[in-house]
Amino acid sequence: MSLQRGQASVELLAGIPALVAAALIALQVVAAAYTVHLADGAAEAGALAVAAGREAEPAARAALPGWARERVRVSAAGGRVAVAARPPALLPGIASRLEVASSAWALPADE
Amino acid sequence: MSDPVPLLAVTALPGAGGGLAIAAALAIAAARRGGAPEGVILCELGGARRPTLLASAAAREIEAGLTGELPVAARGALCWVGLDPGSWRDGLDRCSVSGASLVVPFLDPSRWRELVAEVDSSPRGAVLRADVPRRRALAGLVAAEARRDGMPFGVVTKAPGIVPTRRAMAGLEPGGATGARASRLVTRLLRREQGQALPLVVGLAAMLVLAGLAIAMLGAAASGGARLQRAADLAAVSAGRSMRDDHPRLFAPARLAAGRPNPVHLDPAAYRTRARRVALRAVRANAITAPSIRVSFPGGGDVPTRVRVALRGEIEVGGAGSGEAARAVAVAEAGVPAAPAADARPSVARGGGYSGPLAYRQGEPMRPDVATAFDRLAAAAARHGHALVVNSGFRSDAEQAALFAANPDPRWVAPPGTSLHRCGTELDLGPSSSYGWLAAKARRFGFLRRYAWEPWHYGYVAGPSPCSAAGDRASRSGDGRLAGGGLPSFVPSRYRAPIALAASRWNVPAALLAAQLMAESGFNPFAVSAAGAQGIAQFMPATAAAYGLRDPFDPRRAIGAQARLMADLLRRFGQIPLALAAYNAGPAAVEGCGCVPPYAETQAYVARILGLLGGAGRLAPPELEVRLVR
Repeated sequence: MSLQRGQASVELLAGIPALVAAALIALQVVAAAYTVHLADGAAEAGALAVAAGREAEPAARAALPGWARERVRVSAAGGRVAVAARPPALLPGIASRLEVASSAWALPADE
Repeated sequence: MSDPVPLLAVTALPGAGGGLAIAAALAIAAARRGGAPEGVILCELGGARRPTLLASAAAREIEAGLTGELPVAARGALCWVGLDPGSWRDGLDRCSVSGASLVVPFLDPSRWRELVAEVDSSPRGAVLRADVPRRRALAGLVAAEARRDGMPFGVVTKAPGIVPTRRAMAGLEPGGATGARASRLVTRLLRREQGQALPLVVGLAAMLVLAGLAIAMLGAAASGGARLQRAADLAAVSAGRSMRDDHPRLFAPARLAAGRPNPVHLDPAAYRTRARRVALRAVRANAITAPSIRVSFPGGGDVPTRVRVALRGEIEVGGAGSGEAARAVAVAEAGVPAAPAADARPSVARGGGYSGPLAYRQGEPMRPDVATAFDRLAAAAARHGHALVVNSGFRSDAEQAALFAANPDPRWVAPPGTSLHRCGTELDLGPSSSYGWLAAKARRFGFLRRYAWEPWHYGYVAGPSPCSAAGDRASRSGDGRLAGGGLPSFVPSRYRAPIALAASRWNVPAALLAAQLMAESGFNPFAVSAAGAQGIAQFMPATAAAYGLRDPFDPRRAIGAQARLMADLLRRFGQIPLALAAYNAGPAAVEGCGCVPPYAETQAYVARILGLLGGAGRLAPPELEVRLVR
């Protein structure tokens, strides 16, 4: 009797790591998608700055929230601004492989 | 190995009747729980019962399996089994492998207690029939023991009536309160438990991952729309950038002095074509594939300063082949700065004894002829190793009052209204090492040291008197900016004299009036706009009446009224771009925002006139700003 009734609890206990892992995977996917969105915005801000004759990198970084500013690489050449961003690392070892990239182009001031 | 068949053990305290009927009602409720009747066995010690005429297929099947081994009878929804009091356990064991889904033994209290206390057996619940309150203490004791053992337990305090008893014993739903109570009790006691957690855990995990993917896909879809908008924004801004860069070229002379075509010059059609090409290039460069692209130039006539980019494309939602139509529109502008910079310098003097145009040297304002003379003086000083510094030039009475308040000693600072600095002819020069050279040479360039005790203060005496009407018109500066002298080459000869006369009379730069007439009507004295503006200066009838202009189609009088209106607007707003915006959009619109109003027509009008002045060498080319309007 007691053995049967404890089975559900044991299964639930064993399932907690699986649930935690699933939640982490889901959050990592969402974090990566959000990082794509941020990289897009940063690239656009950088390109708009280029069109206005200003520096791309400060403008691109300024378009990001504080936590993301140190997680991006910004490069600009010929009106094209490229932003590579690492999403927050919820699953160590995987996040670094989820680096996302975005770029935008606008007519530069010197062309 | 299959799970043991659960037991629902039922007993009744001595004196409490109806225990077997309760057990039967519980067995029937259990048999009817699912969709199809399940096989449920009701056991009792001893006795013999006959099968009923009607019985469920499941009960008949169990009956067939046990016949010959135990007294058995299929009765309605349940299968009755008689247990031998001496070997009741064997009988229960046999029942548990009979294919029944539940066995409901009705035992006397001692056997019931023995069965319930065994942890290895398979009871899933226990039910006690007891009369309360008479046996409340004993029933409470039994309930406490059951709870201590972790056994789902229920007490039935009322005996069923005669009819429910008969129906239950015949295997029929007893109905009424007895049936309802039995059903609730069975639901509570036989709640399925084993083995459910794993599917739940797997399901939850899958749901979490799917939820994450769904959010990411929704984000991607939203991002697709945002990317289309981003492409439109960048295309519009890039086109605006092209227009900003090309705008001064519109006003460069079409031919050089030798008659050759001027490579710098751009005509309006080429200006728009170049902007359109840049917009298309930006759309392609921003990875938008084959959308419908429309580039237009709203407002501004031939020389627009605003560009509109409309994109229509498909964004992918949830994978390939599931595109959804999306549209994005962006409008950018290469317009004059919305508001003059905080440190913008007035073009016209106000608040002093001089009210003509101002020229600037080393950031200090002065009368234009004074500026020209200073240039000659400074050049000569430089040849002798002196780098002259202008410490102060024209000062309004308000500025003088502030100086006097800081140092209220008339020997050092003249009281407001008395200083010659209000005339635009006076300069405070430095450095002190140049005082000797200035004292010896400045007179030769038209500058006179005003006071013996101020070796830095020089006044210009070679031109019109300070603070005189002639001085207000002394705008023949050598700096070539707001000079009223040479008119741009695009002015038809028949209008040169009227423009010069009006400029001189109202102290407004002649080049400014000429550029306005070019932008307003192209020097067509009979022009009428769609809005009703009339004549060479495009006066609205009400404005013409306010300035005493009876016939706006009379070009000489219209130019005079235009100069008078511009003089008023320059005095009121101090900045040429603001005065022009007020001429086009009305003073109220400019006053409301202290800026060039964000109307496409007004922006283009101001930019064009500034461009014309720049192209004519009368003003530095306008520094247009590229900005997203929508």
